[in-house]
Amino acid sequence: MLFSELYSAYYNAVAAILREALEGPVTPDTMRRIIGKHASNESALTIVPALTDGRWPLLREDGTPVIRHVPTMPLTTLQKQWINAISRDPRMRLLIEADGEEAAAGLPFPEEDVLFTPEDVCVYDAYADGDPYEDPAYRAHFREILRALREGSALRMQVRNRHGNPMMVTMMPDHLEYSEKDNKFRLYGNASHRNDIVNLARIESVERCEREEVRKSRSVRQGKPAKVEFLLLDERKALERVMLHFAHLEKRTEKLDEKNYRVTLYYDGFDETELLIRLLSFGPLVKVVEPGRFLDLIRERLTNQSGLDL
Amino acid sequence: MSRQGEEMPYSELVKNFNKIREYMRDFYVYGFKSRDGFSGRSTRTYDDERRRIESWLSDYMQFQMTSDGKVVSISIDSRRRGHNPFYKAWKTKSFTDGDITLHFILMDILPEGGREEEADSPGTDQVPAGHEAAEGLTIGEIVDRVDDVLLEFPGARTFDESTIRKKLKEYCQEGIVLSEKCGRTVRYRRAGSPVPIDAQALHFFSEVAPCGVIGAYCADKQEEEKSLFTFKHHYITSAMDSEILCEIFLAMRKKNFMTVETVLPKEKRSRKGIFVPLQVRVSAQSGRQHLMAYSYESRRIVPLRIDHIVSACAGRVCAEYDQYRKAYEKIAPTVWGVSTHSWSGKRMEHVEFTVRFGPGEEYIYGRLLREKRVGSVELLDPEHARFRADVCDASELVPWMRTFIGRLSEVHFSNPVLEEKFKSDIGQMYAMYGIRSGEGGES
Repeated sequence: MLFSELYSAYYNAVAAILREALEGPVTPDTMRRIIGKHASNESALTIVPALTDGRWPLLREDGTPVIRHVPTMPLTTLQKQWINAISRDPRMRLLIEADGEEAAAGLPFPEEDVLFTPEDVCVYDAYADGDPYEDPAYRAHFREILRALREGSALRMQVRNRHGNPMMVTMMPDHLEYSEKDNKFRLYGNASHRNDIVNLARIESVERCEREEVRKSRSVRQGKPAKVEFLLLDERKALERVMLHFAHLEKRTEKLDEKNYRVTLYYDGFDETELLIRLLSFGPLVKVVEPGRFLDLIRERLTNQSGLDL
Repeated sequence: MSRQGEEMPYSELVKNFNKIREYMRDFYVYGFKSRDGFSGRSTRTYDDERRRIESWLSDYMQFQMTSDGKVVSISIDSRRRGHNPFYKAWKTKSFTDGDITLHFILMDILPEGGREEEADSPGTDQVPAGHEAAEGLTIGEIVDRVDDVLLEFPGARTFDESTIRKKLKEYCQEGIVLSEKCGRTVRYRRAGSPVPIDAQALHFFSEVAPCGVIGAYCADKQEEEKSLFTFKHHYITSAMDSEILCEIFLAMRKKNFMTVETVLPKEKRSRKGIFVPLQVRVSAQSGRQHLMAYSYESRRIVPLRIDHIVSACAGRVCAEYDQYRKAYEKIAPTVWGVSTHSWSGKRMEHVEFTVRFGPGEEYIYGRLLREKRVGSVELLDPEHARFRADVCDASELVPWMRTFIGRLSEVHFSNPVLEEKFKSDIGQMYAMYGIRSGEGGES
């Protein structure tokens, strides 16, 4: 069962409290600190009294536990089935060094089935030019980057730029960004301006280097805050489609009347063109009203279209 | 939570996830409804659900006063979050005082049943301290040991044999307790200790794999390690449908029929039907998930929006399962999104369009190539490329085709109604933005 108390934040918090209590008696303050980490702040209002008044008779009055072992829970069948399923994903071999046919063929929990197979799920609109996860060189680069991220090491990379020319980039890596739509990984880090984001598929070689080699920019690129405001006419299920389509962005929605809404989307200014064409995809059901510059971009596209005389 | 199983007036825990699923979706996806907008539910119910959601997602909740009253919304830029915040809601299942007490005592007193998974687990690097392997305990021995523990608490509730037996049966079904019959005696042991799974693999797949919340559950039981990943174009709403999706996968593995109950947002009543689940189709560009299933009512393969499914129960094995799956595999290369039938009633519809690009704009041709899905692309000359597709339902291509507005030099649909609509929509856009048709010239 997926929705089960076995996985609940309360069970996790109590397990953490008991773990701490095995090291030494716990106080209500310690419990609250642990609960804050594993559950919500409001959870302490239930858990602390239940443990201290004996309703959940797991801690003695002196704060020591009645259990003898560090609390752990075996993996459930469902967890094993899910792990079996993801072990078949080619991206798993970027993360786990299990080279060799035997490792690739076997399931981590052979006694259990997989929860789903690659044929059970189809992502139908990811871009066709995704990263080459099966390529041994790509895998090796990925793992070297992961090692550097874990160890806090600097990297020296030979990269092809978008014109296909080779260039050398040194970087203090910060994190990897994955886009399912692009089906690509990008590495973000602290490097000289314009070299702070590297597409993993464009890396030709990568090695760790001395931190001193890195020409740092001020900070890891955070994006350029931007917003666009548009009016939405709720016909042909446009409200639902627009709201779901932009669900991943911060937004504000205001209902003007039964069919009309005003929506403000907050996005990364570097993705302006992408947002522009996504708004165009809703046709006349979306009308951009602010900012003027964004409006001009829409008008420019429509003006160009009107000249093509469909 | 309850005392000895009795319901308390308010608890941040819930018994049935469906109760909060719709509220969370409304707060997050729409975010403009006031309390009065949630028709059909009492204000008390609304207040309780809002308070629950607020206690788990307070960092993301926004409140706004409008003429309709206070509007609650959840606003999350999923690109900035390494973890799906909605998974917190999956960790709020209610339980009784007896459930939690028995859980920790049973996990402590039961001897461990070996670590058969240790050798093959992905990314394992250590074996946790656990319970020594030993012969299992009988139900009588377990009852005695539980009593021994509780003796320290005068007045604490005791557990009779049938309650403990029921809990052990439940844990055997979950796979965390193993039972073994020796003659007429059944002995119980804990399943093997959990072996750590690579933390970064859990971080990554809990965000991108179906039913990713299960990965988050695994991560909760391990040492914490900061995620090295962030996610772009990341649709986190599907997390709310994890339980339904899980039921679908379990039924697909066993080739079962399913009774599926769906509710459309604007309809009050629900619909039930018998289906054969064949594949889950996911959109990376909108986050929508559909179950492609054979419908016994319409006698064809249909898409069902998973977020519209309120219950999905597996039935018996479908003897013709492989036959239906093959039929689906046959039509899949002609499905652009999820639709398997057109409004025109034609079995197949043709669509083609030509885009124009100037010198230095070859990336537009590249866009066509990487976004063409089941269609084909032909480079006509250095400045023009043509896209063609024969699909079940050409209307599904319309939104994508509009993303090329400004470059479309030719558009043709075999369905004349669609072609007329496509062109009139563009005309309407000219009017909306004050563009006079033809003013762009051949620039």
